[in-house]
Amino acid sequence: MSTRSTIHLVEATVLEHHHLDGEQHILRVQADDIAADARPGSFAHITCDPCLPMRRPISILRADRRQGWVEFLYKVVGEGTRRLAERGEGELLSILGPIGRPFSFDTARRRPLLIGGGVGMPPMIFLAETMRGEKDLQPFVILGSEVPFPFTARPSTVMVPGMPEGVIAAMPLLEDRGIASRLASTRGYAGCFEGYVTDLARHWLDALDEEARGQVEVFACGPHPMLEAVARLARDYNLPCQVSMEEFMACGVGGCAGCVVEVQTETGPAMKRVCVDGPVFEAGEVFPF
Amino acid sequence: MWSVQPLAIYCKIPLMASSDETSTDGPDASLRVDFCGLDFASPLVLLSGCVGFGEEYTRVKGFSNRDVGAVCLKGTTLEPRLGNPPHRVYETPAGMLNAIGLQNPGARHVVEKILPQLDFSETRFIANLSGSTVEEYAEVARIFDDSPIDAMEINISCPNVKEGGVAFGNDPDMSARVVAACRKVTDKPLITKLSPNQTDIAENARRCLEAGSDAFAVINTLMGMAIDAESREAIIGNNQGGLSGPAIKPVALLKVHQVYQVCRDHGVPIIGQGGVASAEDAIEFLIAGASAVGVGTALFYDPLLCPKINAGIENYLARHGLARVSQLTGTLRLNSPPVRQPGCGV
Ligand SMILES: Cc1cc2nc3c(=O)[nH]c(=O)nc-3n(C[C@H](O)[C@H](O)[C@H](O)COP(=O)(O)OP(=O)(O)OC[C@H]3O[C@@H](n4cnc5c(N)ncnc54)[C@H](O)[C@@H]3O)c2cc1C
Ligand SMILES: Cc1cc2nc3c(=O)[nH]c(=O)nc-3n(C[C@H](O)[C@H](O)[C@H](O)COP(=O)(O)O)c2cc1C
Ligand code: FES
Repeated sequence: MSTRSTIHLVEATVLEHHHLDGEQHILRVQADDIAADARPGSFAHITCDPCLPMRRPISILRADRRQGWVEFLYKVVGEGTRRLAERGEGELLSILGPIGRPFSFDTARRRPLLIGGGVGMPPMIFLAETMRGEKDLQPFVILGSEVPFPFTARPSTVMVPGMPEGVIAAMPLLEDRGIASRLASTRGYAGCFEGYVTDLARHWLDALDEEARGQVEVFACGPHPMLEAVARLARDYNLPCQVSMEEFMACGVGGCAGCVVEVQTETGPAMKRVCVDGPVFEAGEVFPF
Repeated sequence: MWSVQPLAIYCKIPLMASSDETSTDGPDASLRVDFCGLDFASPLVLLSGCVGFGEEYTRVKGFSNRDVGAVCLKGTTLEPRLGNPPHRVYETPAGMLNAIGLQNPGARHVVEKILPQLDFSETRFIANLSGSTVEEYAEVARIFDDSPIDAMEINISCPNVKEGGVAFGNDPDMSARVVAACRKVTDKPLITKLSPNQTDIAENARRCLEAGSDAFAVINTLMGMAIDAESREAIIGNNQGGLSGPAIKPVALLKVHQVYQVCRDHGVPIIGQGGVASAEDAIEFLIAGASAVGVGTALFYDPLLCPKINAGIENYLARHGLARVSQLTGTLRLNSPPVRQPGCGV
């Protein structure tokens, strides 16, 4: 497949910018071309401020093709994201996107397990929404956060096997679409599992019978230690697993080789570019254990 | 991590020209440059290491290699190299550090697998040669000699590898030996890429010229470092890296001016580079003595920058009544500061 002209450079208007607890922000911009081609796992490369001309990579949380908007969820961690948070409604942002190899799911595996940690939640939410279009799929989404969740959790009405007593908090957006979700945190938030996302995932996997477990495929995005733990979990249960990686970027389009991760291939180690060879990789390639 | 507060001045960098300046039908005829016998459609050259092996930026809608005179491919060694561990890139005030470490699949792979995929009707392609020994440079040159590549750039200025690279480029004797060895194996145009990390760049240029260099690329990156004060760690995986972008432009202009003094009488052209982010920047390099102008880091800021720079240069030529861009090369008017004796009012 030709890769020519797959990425758009857009002067996008800020439509909404919501500022949430834990220095998290949800940004919605008008970017028709990007919305049209966005896939779960693809990201955008954003100029946060003209004073910081290097772009910052941010995953696409949701995209509406019809209305042409794209949403991002990001957390302030440094100068770039701090300046991005200052951009108000009506301002223009230079955005390059959508970029990257997205998640791809096997519809024969009917029980996808989606695990998102912190600002790794966006691609999981996008992926869950996309899977809803496949009527045979029953995705289960586990979201983890060590700061208040960027939404108001609510008690779930969807039954999920293996959930410990009291683990009832769910993400309303997914709940409204009939997608099962549960939340995990070590901060003791009400209704959330107290512990790591991978521990909650084990509860769920252990409650499935052999046949159901064989239908699980794992998808994950989040901090590096979480991804490593998810990759280990997938290996323990012998499940296929895709992870979305992060690395510092310059060009964002495959030109500079600045954003590499080491992967294992049949012919030995290789350096792959997170921006265009990823950000989604097979877990076994990145974490060969 | 650095604070950006005192750097508000850099906000004035004219990164984005207004869109009505953008041409869609390729560079104007006034921008054509004859570079070592190669026909460049524009004086702009996409710089080595910033555009992969030539086609990566065509992913961006609206980007075309036709907008530039030539594209320099990523630094290539004889054997494949994995390059340095991450982090490899980091933004710094008005620029960035990189330490890629010459990740490449090896010269034979480039010639056999990559060059056949490139569209040579769009632009000229220039290989960028690297090695750890004089013999390796020559062998890479020999491999590219037997290929459709239009020219070769000898990178004796890479700051990110332990052997060869800048270790050769900072020593005029070694620089000349590398150039002479490559000259023996090819008649294609040889462009020597000089390092700013040396005492006397003009002397080095003189030696490389004698050794058979047809042209120069001035400058490669300046060596630098970034530190995370909280963790006290070096941010770049390789600890040190090469500084590029607008921050190095004044250094690059001076080096182009100095190398031009050596080249002028021999008709040897220079690809001026270092921080070019606008038509004004490109024009300054031409005035300093460059015949062509490289764009690297600024492409990361705006992937569709080149047609805007072309339009800006075209506009400048028209305003100054010049028919061809080559008429600008080396037209710098130097001041001649009068020698004065200090008086009582000092
Ligand atoms: C594919 C991808 C998707 C991402 N999606 C999201 C998202 O949806 N929401 C979100 O909040 N964050 C996301 N990130 C992380 C986000 O890019 C960084 O938090 C951001 O670049 C930090 O910039 P800064 O200037 O605020 O921080 P600083 O720490 O000051 O940044 C300094 C430099 O390091 C780079 N950098 C620092 N941390 C990271 C990182 N984790 N990943 C990549 N570059 C980094 C910056 O881009 C910048 O060039 C994603 C990263 C990648 C690679
Ligand atoms: C990410 C990156 C990789 C580079 N790789 C190479 C390389 O392989 N060979 C080389 O000769 N120069 C390399 N350079 C240097 C550039 O070609 C150029 O000389 C330098 O960046 C100055 O121009 P700029 O400020 O416009 O980027 C690299 C620069 C960057 C930013
Ligand atoms: S950021 Fe340049 S290759 Fe990925």
